[in-house]
Amino acid sequence: MIDDDLLTIVREQRSKVRMTTPVEQVIGRGRALRARRRLPGLAAGALAAAGAAALAVTALLPAGHQAGRPLPAQLAAWTVTQRAGGTIYVTVRQLRDAAGLQRRLRADGVPASVTFFGREPRACQPYPADRAVVGKVFGGHGPPLVIHPAALPSGAGVQLNPGHYAPGAPIALAFGLVRASSGCTGP
Amino acid sequence: MGVGTKRPDFADFYRRSKDECLFTVLVSVGDQDTAQDLVAEAFARAWASWRTVSRHPAPTAWVVRTALNAHISRWRRSRREIPLADPGAIADRPMAGEAPGGPVDPRLMAALMRLPDRQRQVVALRLFLDLDTGRTAAALGIAPGTVQAHLGRAIAALRADLVPERQREIPS
Repeated sequence: MIDDDLLTIVREQRSKVRMTTPVEQVIGRGRALRARRRLPGLAAGALAAAGAAALAVTALLPAGHQAGRPLPAQLAAWTVTQRAGGTIYVTVRQLRDAAGLQRRLRADGVPASVTFFGREPRACQPYPADRAVVGKVFGGHGPPLVIHPAALPSGAGVQLNPGHYAPGAPIALAFGLVRASSGCTGP
Repeated sequence: MGVGTKRPDFADFYRRSKDECLFTVLVSVGDQDTAQDLVAEAFARAWASWRTVSRHPAPTAWVVRTALNAHISRWRRSRREIPLADPGAIADRPMAGEAPGGPVDPRLMAALMRLPDRQRQVVALRLFLDLDTGRTAAALGIAPGTVQAHLGRAIAALRADLVPERQREIPS
């Protein structure tokens, strides 16, 4: 059932990947986890935190797909439209030409890092922002993705990546804030 | 098996399965550093619960599932997502300049990303972790026949994406 050509391709790729974390480091972390599990107070605290995170997710997830704006006739892989007031609308139809999308966003004044395949730039670090700030930068319940550049905090940029876990959509567009730097969001 | 123990030795399990677990997680999350962090954390959790995990029918599947669950949690805490305007229309190939710094062929990554979730899970367990149909079915909580059906469809799709190009590279 599994043909040899395909297996060869998969196994060639698999043999290129090496996990470099020493077993001692893994066991050390495992000991810490086990010790923490034995402290009931901490365990309860962790559960409370997990509950809060779940609530946050519920609040952040879009309630449904909005009727939305009419799509432009040209079905490019992505479309960026800047409207009065500087608000930017990004519609991504295919995970294609990340570099072009990144250039376009930067040209429109958004410090941006866009990666559709492969590694995110190592220089990209999460920007510590609460939900309120993130909600001001990214509006609506897209698609399209709405970006309000004026709401970007000083020193923050935008990161776009493929996401995998949106309900009902195997591939989604994930977005968040990162620390702006030349290696991540451009000069 | 560890000497003098009834259960498999954790260090031996880690040595034998860490690379295939990393590969399996990598093709799901797309970033090697993230994948390595997730897999290391999953193995640490496996060590902390080794009495249970060592008796799991497929401990490698447990590690992969734990790593991917952690990834979902991590991602959801820090990011938001919207569906693609056309979720079925994933790019045929990464553009030039989008080749990853990581080791996995971007064509394989793209082909895997086009698969529905369940087909990708079956491929991961059957092809990447080399689990048999029964263990794959047990790990995913589905019937063995369903595993076969998903695998057949996934292989047909992957083969259409990957194999013809490769065959063209072989000199006649």
